[in-house]
Amino acid sequence: MIDPLVVELSRWQFAATALFHFLFVPLTLGLTFIVAAMETVYVTTGRTIYREMAQFWGKLLLINFALGVATGLTMEFQFGTNWSFYSSFVGDIFGAPLAVEGLMAFFMESTFIGLMVFGWERLSKIQHLIVTYLVALGSNLSALWILVANGFMQAPEGAVFNPLTMRMELASFAELIFGHDAQSKFVHTSIAGYVTAAIFVCGVSAFYMLRKQHMELARRSFRMAALFGVLSAVGVITLGDALGFVGGHAQPTKLAAMEALWRTEKPPVGFNVIAIPDQQKMENAYELQIPYLLTPLVTRSLDHVIPGADTLVAQAKQRIVSGIEAVGALRALQDNPEDEAALSRFLAHEDDLGYGFLVGAYAPDQDPTVADDAAIERAARDAIPSVATIFWSFRVMVACGLLMLMFFILAVIYTLRNTVERQRWFLGASVLMLPVPWIACEAGWLVAEIGRQPWTVYEVLPTWMSVSTHSAGYMLFSLAGFLLLYSIFIVIEMFLMLRAIRQGPSSHRPTGSAGAAGETALAAPVRSAEV
Amino acid sequence: MGTLIRFVVFFAIAMIVIVLAIILGDYGAWYFAWVLGTVMIVLVSAAGGALLDTQESEKTEEDGAR
Amino acid sequence: MEIYLLLKVLWWLLLGVLLMGVAIMVGMDMGVGTILRLVGRTDAERRVALNIIGPHWDGNQVWFILGGGAIFAAWPLIYATAFSGLYVVMLLLLWSMIVRPLGFEYRSKIDLPAWRSAWDWALFVSGFVPMLVFGAAVGNMLQGVPFRFEWNLASVYSGSFLSLLNPFAILCGLLAVSLSVYMGGAMLMNRGEDVLYRRAQRLVVRSGLVALALFSLGGIWVYFLDGYQLVQSPDPAIAQTPLQQVVERAVGGWLGNYQRTPLLWLIPFSVYATTLLGVAAARSGRSHLAWWLGALAWIGVIGTVGAAMFPFMMPSSLEPSHSLTVWNASSSQLTLTWMTGWSVVFVPLILWYTSWCFWVMRGKVNERDVASDEHAY
Repeated sequence: MIDPLVVELSRWQFAATALFHFLFVPLTLGLTFIVAAMETVYVTTGRTIYREMAQFWGKLLLINFALGVATGLTMEFQFGTNWSFYSSFVGDIFGAPLAVEGLMAFFMESTFIGLMVFGWERLSKIQHLIVTYLVALGSNLSALWILVANGFMQAPEGAVFNPLTMRMELASFAELIFGHDAQSKFVHTSIAGYVTAAIFVCGVSAFYMLRKQHMELARRSFRMAALFGVLSAVGVITLGDALGFVGGHAQPTKLAAMEALWRTEKPPVGFNVIAIPDQQKMENAYELQIPYLLTPLVTRSLDHVIPGADTLVAQAKQRIVSGIEAVGALRALQDNPEDEAALSRFLAHEDDLGYGFLVGAYAPDQDPTVADDAAIERAARDAIPSVATIFWSFRVMVACGLLMLMFFILAVIYTLRNTVERQRWFLGASVLMLPVPWIACEAGWLVAEIGRQPWTVYEVLPTWMSVSTHSAGYMLFSLAGFLLLYSIFIVIEMFLMLRAIRQGPSSHRPTGSAGAAGETALAAPVRSAEV
Repeated sequence: MGTLIRFVVFFAIAMIVIVLAIILGDYGAWYFAWVLGTVMIVLVSAAGGALLDTQESEKTEEDGAR
Repeated sequence: MEIYLLLKVLWWLLLGVLLMGVAIMVGMDMGVGTILRLVGRTDAERRVALNIIGPHWDGNQVWFILGGGAIFAAWPLIYATAFSGLYVVMLLLLWSMIVRPLGFEYRSKIDLPAWRSAWDWALFVSGFVPMLVFGAAVGNMLQGVPFRFEWNLASVYSGSFLSLLNPFAILCGLLAVSLSVYMGGAMLMNRGEDVLYRRAQRLVVRSGLVALALFSLGGIWVYFLDGYQLVQSPDPAIAQTPLQQVVERAVGGWLGNYQRTPLLWLIPFSVYATTLLGVAAARSGRSHLAWWLGALAWIGVIGTVGAAMFPFMMPSSLEPSHSLTVWNASSSQLTLTWMTGWSVVFVPLILWYTSWCFWVMRGKVNERDVASDEHAY
């Protein structure tokens, strides 16, 4: 028997640790490339200010990177510790990208980041530049494989269920890697990291310009980050739309929740700008619509029908009934693998196996084969994830994205004219922009992962079945432990990060003697390893 | 005033680029786009940095000529 | 279908290689953490010790992460059952391990004795505890873990986590700690000087001898321990689940493989040879040789356990017939094939650039360098 409280606590623990991990990942994804761009200018022009920039932002990167590594460590093992049924059920496919991530990406990133930090005096300019690029590439390839794995959870492609071994098994590695969800989600996430890092660099540089400190470093960093950011912001919005299109087709329940679409209506339907969804009554208590907009936005046509929650629940009900047959046949097959009748019954209902599992949560003894109509009704209603949460998280993310695009356009205009240091209101705004990308990233994670509910693997494996059969006491203990440990971590990290920003690059100068009033004069020749 | 006009123009360009990209690729070859895009973003950003140094030295020359 | 059989055995061997990688590389860094407060009496000395492994600890740690990923991909049932069955112990391992990256990155950011001393203790905990748990986990595998499967292969556990920290498991844990101290000490000898070198040398000699004593004691203990024997099972070359076999327990059962194939005795003997030679090499100041002999000792220790248990990977003490073996816990043939392909390409690459990284950072580290280098930990 699986305790619903354990399911709830396992979900909270995974969400808390993943959201926390994802505070550090995006900055790493982008800042590594920004640092690489700075070092590229240093190597091509030979101006030491760019080396100083690469080292300063590299130092901030490292403070962030340490926590990214630490919190990532627990993620790699949490599937096994807390989601053991999930792990054995889909490990045949899901484990492979995680392993390849280690082989291809994480080894590269982690080995070379040591050289990136310690190798300035031991490597030639070109060698060090290559090392920096390898760190950037490694961290993004890491994200690639994680999102390939996540893409499988969202839109399971390249796998088949094997009734003999009772698990999903790999059918095509290519389909797994080149799944539409994996492709668009990786690029969306990676570039969201670029935007995050660009806002970070702009914000911190603006802070220096406001205080008239480190002007040479700040102006150059702001210029490079603004250009980096404006292109990335365009990219992230494009890919966000592509992901919405792909996800809308693969996961109609997520789409219905994102748009608070309760009823299937004649196309073209309107776009809800604001809505107050009521999950119980399956309607919006209030909505503000732009007519006709939604259909062309998500289907690229005027006459495609977008299924609303009512249709989806009705479909779920049918599939549950069929899925119950599949579970029964599977059980018979486990008792007697030679049972031909059971095999043919299973094959007839195989596609709905996941829906059969879904109803188990409400069936007596959690046995789907004895589920009554009330249980089927409840399970079918569960097929629609929490609309209010997803609807609003989605809008917060989109609003943040558009806001950042507008910010970067202004930033580029000012910085190309070289007047940004005089626009004090804009510098203030840049500092205020600092939390925005993190809000967008976390909101995006919520849309993607809450939108996938009630499944861990969409329409294949329900969340309630995926957990390890721990006691609630164990779960409370571990959740409390993680919260305590991570709270201490974030306090220390923020303290060190703010301290390093306040100290600025002056404390970072190789000569060790800080310039007057902490000002790093460009003219002063900085010692270079190569001379 | 010039800033506002430029902002509007740039924003319009950005929107056109986004819409074009969306029309071009619903099920796009996004991995490939990522490789090209990242290279472009890094290069543009690096060029922007180098341009600032050029602007700087031109300005110093102008000041010197005056 | 014979290919499937070969792939299963290959991935059992590769799992061994990964565990050896974790033990040697991560164990070395953790050993340095464990003895940090002993080899370094002053802050400057401790910083030297940290900077000796500073450029490498992050890359080394990936052995551990890759270990997790590879078990997930190649042995999903082991990944699912072991990590959830050993829940509280795994939490101890993870919680102590995640403090380590912060210990390296944050310790030297602030020049306050209390701050640095706190991180020294954190580094000690994150060096000692994970190695203890690592060894204890292997000890538990030898004893069997209390789990069984339901009809759909959902695993159920009984017993409290305290039973996982029983005397035999602690013995195995201490063996792992002493070998990690040996390796950490040898690394400090390689790149350290003066007092640091001499203190590390003393620790290498002592921990090597302690490891040998614990290894011998463990061997005798296993002789009296319940081992597991496959009585009946499907053809090893076909796909199967742990619900289709019969397993029995017998005292001294883990020595069965050695009795059937006496050549295997060479593996435990190699541990004695390499450890004794390693201790001698450390005493005579040949630290690089001592390091490599220590690595061979690790390979011998893990090989000894593997040779005893094959084909078992994770026996069940609750329901012996549900034990996980090389034959019933692996992933599908296609997954194993793909994983083999990726490994063939990337493992040599990893070994190559890791060696290059060590080569670039070669040479002695001293206090003056650390104090003047603004990148240092």
